[in-house]
Amino acid sequence: MGEEGSGDTVHLLCLAASSGIPLFCRSSRGGAPTRQQLPFSVIGSLNGVHMFGQNLDVQLNSARTEDTTVVWKSFHDSITLIALSSEKGTSELRLERMLHMVFGAMVLIVGLEELTNIRNVERLKKELRASYRLIDSFLGDSELIGDLTQCVDCVIPPEGSLLQETLSGFAEATGTAFVSLLVSGRVVAATEGWWRLGMPEAVLLPWLVGSLPPQAARDYPVYLPHGSPTVPHRLLTLTLLPSLELCLLCGPRPSLSQLNPQLLERWWLPLLDPLRGCLALGPRALPDGFPLHADILGLLLLHLELKRCVFTVEPLRDKEPSPEQRRRLLRNFYTLVATTHFPSGPTEKTEDGVRPAQMPRACYLVLGPGTGWQLVALQLGLRLLLLLLSPQSPTHGLRSLATHTLHSLTPLL
Amino acid sequence: MASPTLHDSRGGPDKLHGEPSSQEDEDSDSEDRTGDSGSCTSASSNDDDLEPEWLDSVQRNGELFYLELSEGEEESLLPETPTVNHVRFSENEIIIEEDDYKERKKHEPKLKRFTRILKSKKLLPKRYHKKSSNNDGPVSILKHQLNPKIGVTVHQRYKDVTVYVNPKNLTVTKAREQLKLLEVLVGIIHQTKWSWRRSGKQSDGERLVVHGLLPGGSAMKSGQVLIGDVLVAVNDVDVTSENIERVLSCIPGPMQVKLTFENAYAMKKETAQPKKKKKQSNANDLVKLLCGEAAEDIQQSVLVTPHIIMYLNLQLDSDSSKEEEILYHYPMSEASQKLKSVRGIFLTLCDMLENVTGTQVTSSSLLLKGKQIHVAYWKESDKLLLIGLPAEEVPLPQLRNMIEDVAQTLKFMYGSLDSAFCQVENVPRLDHFFSLFFQRALHPARQHLSASPSAQQYSAASSVLLDSLPGARWLTLPQEIKVELDTMLSDLEAADFAELSEDYYNIRRLYTILGSSLFYKGYLICSHLPKDDLIEIAVYCRHYCLLPLAAKQRIGQLIIWREVFPRHHLHPSTESDTDAFQEPEGRYFLLIVGLRHYVLCVLLEAGGCTSKATGNPGPDCVYVDQFRATLHRLEAVQSRIDERLASSTGPWLSCADWFLAGPRDKTDGLTTSPIISRLHGTSKAKTPPTCRRAIFSDYSFKTRKPSPSRGSGESEPGCEGEGIGLSPHTTPDAIPRQRESSGSEDSGTWLKASKKKSTLPNPFHLGNLKKELSEKELEIYNTMKLTSGPENTLFHYVALETVQGIFITPTHEEVAQLGGSVHSQLIKNFHQCCLSIRAFFQQTLVEEKKKALPGRDHADSSTPASSLSAVKEHGVLFECSPENWTDPKKSPPVLTYWVVGRLFLHPKPQELYVCFHDSVTEIAIEMAFKLFFGLTL
Repeated sequence: MGEEGSGDTVHLLCLAASSGIPLFCRSSRGGAPTRQQLPFSVIGSLNGVHMFGQNLDVQLNSARTEDTTVVWKSFHDSITLIALSSEKGTSELRLERMLHMVFGAMVLIVGLEELTNIRNVERLKKELRASYRLIDSFLGDSELIGDLTQCVDCVIPPEGSLLQETLSGFAEATGTAFVSLLVSGRVVAATEGWWRLGMPEAVLLPWLVGSLPPQAARDYPVYLPHGSPTVPHRLLTLTLLPSLELCLLCGPRPSLSQLNPQLLERWWLPLLDPLRGCLALGPRALPDGFPLHADILGLLLLHLELKRCVFTVEPLRDKEPSPEQRRRLLRNFYTLVATTHFPSGPTEKTEDGVRPAQMPRACYLVLGPGTGWQLVALQLGLRLLLLLLSPQSPTHGLRSLATHTLHSLTPLL
Repeated sequence: MASPTLHDSRGGPDKLHGEPSSQEDEDSDSEDRTGDSGSCTSASSNDDDLEPEWLDSVQRNGELFYLELSEGEEESLLPETPTVNHVRFSENEIIIEEDDYKERKKHEPKLKRFTRILKSKKLLPKRYHKKSSNNDGPVSILKHQLNPKIGVTVHQRYKDVTVYVNPKNLTVTKAREQLKLLEVLVGIIHQTKWSWRRSGKQSDGERLVVHGLLPGGSAMKSGQVLIGDVLVAVNDVDVTSENIERVLSCIPGPMQVKLTFENAYAMKKETAQPKKKKKQSNANDLVKLLCGEAAEDIQQSVLVTPHIIMYLNLQLDSDSSKEEEILYHYPMSEASQKLKSVRGIFLTLCDMLENVTGTQVTSSSLLLKGKQIHVAYWKESDKLLLIGLPAEEVPLPQLRNMIEDVAQTLKFMYGSLDSAFCQVENVPRLDHFFSLFFQRALHPARQHLSASPSAQQYSAASSVLLDSLPGARWLTLPQEIKVELDTMLSDLEAADFAELSEDYYNIRRLYTILGSSLFYKGYLICSHLPKDDLIEIAVYCRHYCLLPLAAKQRIGQLIIWREVFPRHHLHPSTESDTDAFQEPEGRYFLLIVGLRHYVLCVLLEAGGCTSKATGNPGPDCVYVDQFRATLHRLEAVQSRIDERLASSTGPWLSCADWFLAGPRDKTDGLTTSPIISRLHGTSKAKTPPTCRRAIFSDYSFKTRKPSPSRGSGESEPGCEGEGIGLSPHTTPDAIPRQRESSGSEDSGTWLKASKKKSTLPNPFHLGNLKKELSEKELEIYNTMKLTSGPENTLFHYVALETVQGIFITPTHEEVAQLGGSVHSQLIKNFHQCCLSIRAFFQQTLVEEKKKALPGRDHADSSTPASSLSAVKEHGVLFECSPENWTDPKKSPPVLTYWVVGRLFLHPKPQELYVCFHDSVTEIAIEMAFKLFFGLTL
């Protein structure tokens, strides 16, 4: 196992804490799911050390070897999740957040009751199978970044207000407060109610919709890990255009049949063109023709209070590095920024009047040797902007470039 | 008598230990023979003795750690020192010692032989008797430490000691300004003020901690009262500091009094310092005492923090007894016990993760009582070294550096981790080593002693980063001083002095001098050692706090001698071809001689072309005396080095407080130049730096600080003129000069404060100041300004040169001159930030090394650079404001500054960390070029 494990493999183990029975093991290698799994003896000892510590009131959180990071996390004293990643540049923060998302996904599918009070392990195992697709999407490479930032991936539609109005009207007509319009897992527009969703589910629901195989319409029972972990709700999805879906989160009403084609046509047919415009927005996130500096290769904008983010690596597609690389660079950079420099976001300032004496505002990183790509992060108020820039951009100008970009993006998010 | 506080008076201990006090050797028959622990001797009492006073401190394995404080220090310490000790001597070891004593004598003749020859020829320089022998006996602490009788295993909680008390003696004793019966009658020194300061917890009457013992007092004579004990009752009457005098005054006449003590050591025996290095630990206690803290308190506060060092055996015998796998661990405190009890986790992780991933485990984190603890791993063959420290005190990157340092130092000292940990006699030494280590890790401030609190703060703040840098702190000196030092060291290294020449006695030279390095006040000023040796020696000195010790004038005499195992010589790189120089199969010895502010470290080689070392040779007087003589000669240079320290040639620094814009400036951002408004503030108030600094900085320095002129008369006219030039009318000029490109919102205007300043700085333009310059001052005029704007915006810097193993950073004096509350915060933050930046660079260097290795590259090429493991520059922008801003209406002024780290891989690895104001766009490469230029050993 030693020699083949040296690649960038991520293993996720889920065990029942009380019995130590593995509920599932998922692995991915090079960003794609793989069947390769850890031997049971390893799973056993990974769980064993954690349990041993717990018996002695010592909670083992993480361990690192030269190229691998292992993170343990136990939830509600009944589920232990272990992540073992040998991806380059992996960090504890990423794995910890991943485990939170994974547990959220488990609750989303089977409900908290089943997980905290395990009566029949075999049945639970079967039920959890439904969540594999969603969980695998956290392990592998994703185009989204919400799992890491814990912010909802958004796109900025060119005619946002029009879509927003229509959406609100539609929500009213169907009697649902939670409605959103998604394009390949990213939120184009959503109702107030939808934005008020709590943290894991706000990211998980679009993520879930993005991970499900395409269907014209779905009626999917979901538990909300934060809002209603024990009582299931219905997630209704309606495909307006390929990869553009309308999501409703509701109770027993309305039934799927109530959302008949006539209703949809009445509301959405007039907006066909703007909707078509949204399709291309998927990976690009920003409207066509938005003025971005020519050196920008990738962009991540976070709103720390609204918990929304815009993430794109589309600008200058044809140039080095590849989109996957750019995504990884920005993900890694976000991790770095979030762990070392801007650990807790803006909350500390508002809590009490005392400002910490030394506040980090911006940081940059020049990669080298050979590549010379530059990364810059800038925090202004509630917004945090991360940019990936080409090597020709002058280092001393990074901050002003970031400031300008942030100012021009401010009205959008 | 050199150091009464540290030296044992003779006699007592010997008899108590039943050691033979008579000896064949006529030179030493009258000396006390305390073997290992006997690093105490009284040279003054036998005046005809020509043996160096440290000779008796030589341990049986030849090691020596001898420290004597200088006269001045002692005097200042005397009032407080008696409180010092927590040195303990366990009985077993004294017994061992007796066994070893004979063994030790075996190698003695060799040492004495030289001495005797020299003595007959009157070659041995006379020692310095700094004090005339004061016959009423030195305040000997150590003596009492020696006293616990064999078999009395100290550790019951209370003990009764019967002493003879004679109140009539009161008349005999000198009248004191304040009659203290406890002191006079019983001979116990308890300092009320001192203990009042450290503990406010006792409400009514404090506990009577024995802070010291009066020489010749009955308590001392009893030999059972230890410093640190608490006197709880006199003849079963409970006493506190309040009633003690009353109780004692009731003693009518000469009688036996029963004193009941709470044994301070019963509970924390484990914290006790080992005896072998007691000279040194004494000194550290002194160090701590000088900080105004009690050693016990330090121990106590350290104890509640969970921390541990363990050395575990990974090969388990199934039939081994309990806890067999623990080869060594420290400390024994309760909090650490918990960590020890979960060692199964560490063992399992180490084994399993290595099997799973193919790489060794480096660290793990766990939560213990709500506290996050990082544990670093260091695996060597089938043994595992573990260090656990709380995350909030020691961030993970620092911990990783620390464990590497520890492993390296232990290997340097003992050859390998196994030989360090697996030998029973090393245990007390290791205990001491790690007690120092943990105190350094958990309470950095306590290790640093400086005259001013600001300098001390600086030391503490910077130790986070500087202690982990692979290098010694270098002080650049003017060429001629350097040449002088170089010559002196070369002379020394040539070992050509008469006594050492091979012809002289017709015997083979004992050692070859491989190289030496000279430290002054903790700065490396000259080194003739290869980089690896230098680093190892510097790390050794750091572990034993020698350099901070030398920073103040506190060393009367320091002699350290030990066998060392320099990696560079013993394990030369494998690639070397056969033609290359082959290291002789010799043994290596480190001799450190300290005098005043100087510390001279010399690496000696035995074997090779010199005679082979047999047994455990102790330090040779001839070498020690030669080195000391060199140090004495160096005193001539001292004043010039001091001067250099005071007015360093490093880049000019600015104080962050000068840049803090007032609230008004902040609100209307660009309109005013904060620095100018600031200037008017400073000119009236603060202590200006010396005027000389102001003059010799380029004039932009003056624009910022016209104030110094007012301080000193010498250059008043010139400075005044500049000051006037700064009058508010220049402010408007600043506005149009605002650089558009900067795009920063903050007011960055001050730097282009006036038109007059916009010309390029001309270092040779001194104007009317010129005539005031003395020649000496001209010499230091070539100071550079690191930042590029007309204003000096540099706050701090650290530059590491890895080829030579040195780094430079502003001296304590420089930082102290700047002062400022915000500035010290900034410096602290700077170092912490640099630590995390450096963690990236270290990763990059590791990657580079991997790439350089043939055969590994295919793995790397498949995964293109998508991780952040190759970073060459990293900068962070900080915003700070004064800590206690009282005005609620106005927002506090804000200062923004960059902390930038830059790694250079080619041509040779260099690291640069700078901290500068946000107003100027700096290019790190340019700064590095300026800083590294001419930086050579």
